[in-house]
Amino acid sequence: MLKVIDIYKSYRRRAILKGVCFDAEPGSCIGIVGSNGCGKTTLLSILAGAQKADKGRLEVDGIDLFSNRKQIYDRIAYVPQENPFIPELTVKDNLSLWYKGSRKRMRQDLENGPAAMLGIGPMENMIVSRLSGGMKKRLSLACALSGHAPYLIMDEPGAALDLECKEAIRQYVAGYLKEGGTVILTSHEIDELSLCSQIYVLKSGILHKASPGQTVPSLIALFRS
Amino acid sequence: MAARFYFLKLEFKRAWKRMPFVAAGAVVLMLMLGSVAQTAGTIMRGEEALGRISIGVVLPEKDPMAEIAVRMLGSLDSVDSLCDFYYMEEEEANKALEQGEILGIMWVPEGMVQGIMNGTNPPVSIYLPQKGLESVVFKELTMAGARTLSAAQAGIYAGDQLLRQTGQEEKILELESELNQIYMAYSLPRIHYFKREQVSASGEVSPFVFYGISAFVLVLLLGIIPASGYLTGESKALDQKLGILGIGPLWISFARVVSLGSLLVVLGLLFGGVFVRAGYLGASWVAFVCLVFMCLAAASMALFFFECAGTLMGGVMLLSAASMVLLFLSGGMIPLIFLPDGIRQAAPWLPVSVMLECGKMAVLGQVKWKVWLHAGLYSGVFFILAAGVRKR
Repeated sequence: MLKVIDIYKSYRRRAILKGVCFDAEPGSCIGIVGSNGCGKTTLLSILAGAQKADKGRLEVDGIDLFSNRKQIYDRIAYVPQENPFIPELTVKDNLSLWYKGSRKRMRQDLENGPAAMLGIGPMENMIVSRLSGGMKKRLSLACALSGHAPYLIMDEPGAALDLECKEAIRQYVAGYLKEGGTVILTSHEIDELSLCSQIYVLKSGILHKASPGQTVPSLIALFRS
Repeated sequence: MAARFYFLKLEFKRAWKRMPFVAAGAVVLMLMLGSVAQTAGTIMRGEEALGRISIGVVLPEKDPMAEIAVRMLGSLDSVDSLCDFYYMEEEEANKALEQGEILGIMWVPEGMVQGIMNGTNPPVSIYLPQKGLESVVFKELTMAGARTLSAAQAGIYAGDQLLRQTGQEEKILELESELNQIYMAYSLPRIHYFKREQVSASGEVSPFVFYGISAFVLVLLLGIIPASGYLTGESKALDQKLGILGIGPLWISFARVVSLGSLLVVLGLLFGGVFVRAGYLGASWVAFVCLVFMCLAAASMALFFFECAGTLMGGVMLLSAASMVLLFLSGGMIPLIFLPDGIRQAAPWLPVSVMLECGKMAVLGQVKWKVWLHAGLYSGVFFILAAGVRKR
């Protein structure tokens, strides 16, 4: 169970998040939508431990992760919007960094783990800068899942990808959810949002819970209101 | 901890992938510096070195003392090594000057020696129509000679006055004779001084070695440019994710300084090998330690400039400009002795100055812990500053 409790964040006196709260049950998918620049990425990077909140708590399975930051990596996999790679090195080199140099674990995953399911094996010796956008996104996902974390946070995973890649990632996320994983994602894509069991709208730093079965036009109306 | 060390390994891999570009860039830079040095030397000095200076001397009639004085002047080491005095009539001298046989004419006034003795000092006229290097040198020689004579004259007058005040006028001649001998023996023939000590604007090393060290420091600093692609412009996402792994700005900067430093050490060993083979440098552990300190200082300084600039192009421009300015202020282009007093005082505190000192230590095989300490200190300071800029 993941609990986000009363998170506040400001940049230079400008409040970005004003007491954000929500829960995520195991096996659920939480979608966060909102207009560009409303603070979705900031919220996700705080939940992933990449940024610090001014105030608030993040409880995962009863542990306050903001007080135990070292445990974040083991419990939460984070796929940022941009790809976090060292571009001039190979896929294997980049992947090894997230496996903390453990070749055995990496090899296992490349044969029968998230990396295998994402099709990373055939491209392991390729230079990252020469990969296509879809390949990079799959690699980013594989890097994030190197710790086999039960919670997956994804920031606009399908942005700027072709339909085939979007579908491949969507299928992987669906499988991850089936196996009991929890996903929190932001997206502007209806297909991706269709995976979500609960959608929240982030507006003016406050998270609004959308009603079950709320349609996309009504969500857009909520952005604008 | 494992992630940190693996990241360090990856940073080494990134740096070393750029080795061919760095080596090629360094060779090109060395060739460019060599060409610039040769061209500058040719422009400044012409094809020929300084020739002998021929001067026609016109002596007053019936003044044997003046002739003795001028012959004595002409026999001084500094004058004799550069000048040829030809004694001639005024008309003959004018003709020789017109025909280019002599460079200038020196007219000695009547009663010159008596004038020196009684303090009236009648002026010697010198005509130097050309504005070449020889004229400049002769003018300097004349000025130096006049100053030396002034000092000798002041000493003799002071001695005379002291003896008069103490009522010992009978000893004046003896004193003047002794003082004359002292000035002639120690002051005027400066060759005695130069025989004992080598005086050079470039310090303990020869000008050739000095400029070699200076060029090497410039190559170390500018040699980073072909490798600089990975010093800036990485994604914010990578920074954030490295932070999640526990790899912060301090470790990233450390990994960059060490990996870039190792690249420079190998580059330095390649160039150093050439100097060792040429006999300008002895292969010793002192030289190696000096090289390591120089490379770490260069790497941390470059990283700081790139972090400050924030972009690749900005970093390249900042590093190039800062390297040239710092090298100039440290006396790497023109020896410090020729630079204004303010720069001379500030120079020892500049990082490039410390790198130049390390280079000299490597050549001389001397151990100066203070210089190593300063080089280590600069590496540390720039590394921390770079990490601070990255964090911000």
